[in-house]
Amino acid sequence: MLKRLAIAAAILGSFPIMAWAHGPSRQKVTESVEINAPADKVWAVVGNFQDLSWVPAVAKTEGTGDNKPASGSNNDGAKRTITLKSGGVIEEMLDEYDAKEMTYSYEITKVDVKVLPVNDYSSHITVTANGADKSTLEWKGAFYRGFMNNDPPPELNDEASKKAVTDLYKSTLEAVKAKIEGGK
Amino acid sequence: MRAFVRVSAVVAVLAFGGLQSAAMAGEALTTNQPADTLSFVDLSAMKEVATVKIGGKPAGIALSPDKTKAYITSPDSKELVEVDAVSRAVTRRVTLGGGPLGIAAHPKLPEIYVADWYSHKILVINAKTLAVVCAISVGQSPSGLAVTPDGRLLLSADRDSDAVSIVDIARRERIASVPTGKRPFGITIDNNGERAYTANVKSNDVTVIDIASRSVLGSVPTGRRPYAVALANGLGFSTDQYGGSITVFDLAKLVPTETIKACDHPEGIEADPSGHDVYVACWGDNVLLRLDPRTLKVTGKADVGDGPRAFGKFLR
Repeated sequence: MLKRLAIAAAILGSFPIMAWAHGPSRQKVTESVEINAPADKVWAVVGNFQDLSWVPAVAKTEGTGDNKPASGSNNDGAKRTITLKSGGVIEEMLDEYDAKEMTYSYEITKVDVKVLPVNDYSSHITVTANGADKSTLEWKGAFYRGFMNNDPPPELNDEASKKAVTDLYKSTLEAVKAKIEGGK
Repeated sequence: MRAFVRVSAVVAVLAFGGLQSAAMAGEALTTNQPADTLSFVDLSAMKEVATVKIGGKPAGIALSPDKTKAYITSPDSKELVEVDAVSRAVTRRVTLGGGPLGIAAHPKLPEIYVADWYSHKILVINAKTLAVVCAISVGQSPSGLAVTPDGRLLLSADRDSDAVSIVDIARRERIASVPTGKRPFGITIDNNGERAYTANVKSNDVTVIDIASRSVLGSVPTGRRPYAVALANGLGFSTDQYGGSITVFDLAKLVPTETIKACDHPEGIEADPSGHDVYVACWGDNVLLRLDPRTLKVTGKADVGDGPRAFGKFLR
């Protein structure tokens, strides 16, 4: 019986999205960058849910539903599957989309903690105009750590999950700034 | 129905007589999880007036029957923390172990209930000594807790069982389990003790339970990832974390009537006892919002600490 439980636990452990349970506390990461370009120019780069080519770690984005968010209880919103350059795959769904306000939010529906050590991850992208030729691009994430029980291993603890997301956001925002300001 | 009309008339008289403050909450206490603090918000000014260091990433909150004490769960340090709400100081803390999050207080007795989602038990705690009196087995990973106003029954949203446990408090045992939508998290009981409402984070709906018959009356679709429910003005209000919205639904017809654009990750929500206002903790934006349950507009906003959860009853 114990052995069977151990096997079941091992199977669940390898599919963290199935073993849905809260870690102790949700983590929050917010990073932003000021870009010397008008807001609509930045939005044109980051505002399409089906195009994640602005994230350097991404090799390919494939999806359905354009920029149409999920509504109510239906999981009918736009979806995308991201293949990373490292080979990892992440599945995501759009929750909110407002082109006028230049903001959208989405959630990860499937990821291996080896690819990104997070659970129940949701995120916002917002572009704000700072006058006519400057803007701020903000990326905000909410998530639980990779290990959903007490006493996590170091690579799946709160600090590790926060560091992974912070590094992703910082490096990506710098790359977007360089790309847009460099006119590429 | 007649009783309801009479209650409405009394409320109207109170409201127009300028006496509504007697029945209204004066303060909100938000547990700010990443900040490790408790914010005290003056609700007449909608302003944070004090911050108390709690530690252990506080999340759940309950108040003593006289509302002079707050009981807070800190899941990271696995503690129960008692705060004197009048002097605004931590008075005692006790390590419970496991994964304490959901918490409720008995409406009359000095007794507190804490849900431990790892051991699948509810701890009964003597509020005078803070000693664990006993542990009651419920479903998998109990989350939100609520007690009926008569103090007879304790209900737990058993998140990983997709069910609600009904516990007889005097007998210290579970007497029924009622199925819900997927992953019920927050649970709210109405003022008459007739119905319970669970926010089901995975199926994006609210399950409505008739407590006496232990049966499901219906369910209402919400926005994405509802966290908790408040009741006021004949309406239900769910905080939709991923939608950044409040779904408003009709309690008689059990249908959604409106979606209020709220904030980033709205979480804890509670109606003032008078039903005059509804307060919402916004985890992402670090604010407490005030909603008017008649106009369905946001009427006030107060800055609080980083990451307010306010999971439980937080108005005094």
